Amino acid sequence: MKRCRQCTLPETYPGITFDTQGVCQFCRTYGEGESIRQRRATLRERFAQLLATERRPNGYDCLVAYSGGKDSSYLLALLAREYGARPLALTLDNGFLSPQALVNMDRVTQSLGVDHLIIKVPVEIMRQIYARSQRQPLFAAKTLQRGSAICMACIGLVKFLALRCAIERQIPFVAFGWSPGQVPLSGTLIKSQPAMIRAMQRATFEPLYAVVGEAVRPYFLEERHFRAADRFPYLVGPLAFSPYREDRIMASIESLGWKRPTDTDANSSNCLLNSLANRVHKRQFHFHPYEFEIAGLVREGILSREEGLARLTAGEDAQLIHRLEERLRPSTD
Amino acid sequence: MVSEVKHLVRRFICENFIVREEDFTDDDSMLEKQIIDSTGVLELVAFLQEQFGIPIADEDITPDNLDSVERICAFVQRKSNAIPSTAMAMASRRTL
Repeated sequence: MKRCRQCTLPETYPGITFDTQGVCQFCRTYGEGESIRQRRATLRERFAQLLATERRPNGYDCLVAYSGGKDSSYLLALLAREYGARPLALTLDNGFLSPQALVNMDRVTQSLGVDHLIIKVPVEIMRQIYARSQRQPLFAAKTLQRGSAICMACIGLVKFLALRCAIERQIPFVAFGWSPGQVPLSGTLIKSQPAMIRAMQRATFEPLYAVVGEAVRPYFLEERHFRAADRFPYLVGPLAFSPYREDRIMASIESLGWKRPTDTDANSSNCLLNSLANRVHKRQFHFHPYEFEIAGLVREGILSREEGLARLTAGEDAQLIHRLEERLRPSTD
Repeated sequence: MVSEVKHLVRRFICENFIVREEDFTDDDSMLEKQIIDSTGVLELVAFLQEQFGIPIADEDITPDNLDSVERICAFVQRKSNAIPSTAMAMASRRTL
């Protein structure tokens, strides 16, 4: 398969074009160098200033969407230790987290002295989402370029659940573990606006509501939340504007007791379901759902091209996939 | 100016969100039609800032400003008027 000679994007990636040197349009237009470094430094400074201004002496400063994976574990440590924030970790347990991920979450939050909320999703919800994702695309084409339908469903649920929780508890920031390049730099520190959040929520809620029905409502904002416009938090992705090196991230979180799970696939450090979600996605769309993210990490110099390719071509654990398929089989069979 | 902005915006949407010209009108809500998603909004904002050199504040990120091609063009126009000659200069510097 032909791939970009600089990053790893394949010829099957929607809309990709290569120049005569075999370089994709994303690499051709990638901005790097001093201006990016300067913008990251400015964002770090602005975030620190906002955090100081918005600090809640009697509550939480920041709600962290905490998956238990390496990036969000590091994010929690970064906020608590380097920014001196008082975070609240929020986990959406989809029922398919690696047992090691659950251990890791406990170790990291205990080591940092961070409070931790876990919302466990009934497996029937995941079963219905999985069943539909096999039959037809659950989300817009662009959304499914960033990740598998199952992954994007969980991300959608946790995103709006985090917003809901932050508004209810008057927490001024919601932090996500976006890696550099995953989201445009200008979008890594913004104050959420009710009208836009309402429109964004509709795009996530409606496809899930069509599949799952009323059971998804508690994960999303209600009218009473939209009426509390002054409580809408900043959305922030500190990893995207902080120095990001895998070896430093691992050293930091391992010092908190975090251990890499051995039962997840090459692209996840918390969720077992990822491997099955990836397989469904590849079968339907003919590209790996991590293509975009890994190409971004290669472009940023965080992964070498060879490391990126290794993650994209790593084998699947057939036994694990079989077990997952069994667990997700419709209960009416 | 308006037609040039519209051309650049439509081209960005087609190329970045993988839709065809005939898939959306200038009045269509791109969020309702699921052409753009939440991350797509951030990509659109980054594009407008870069392409037209306009500052976009957090409070500007609303459907009223960004949810259709018509609204985006009007928004770019308003922002450009606040910074004379910027948008024209930026737009004309780039190849169509």
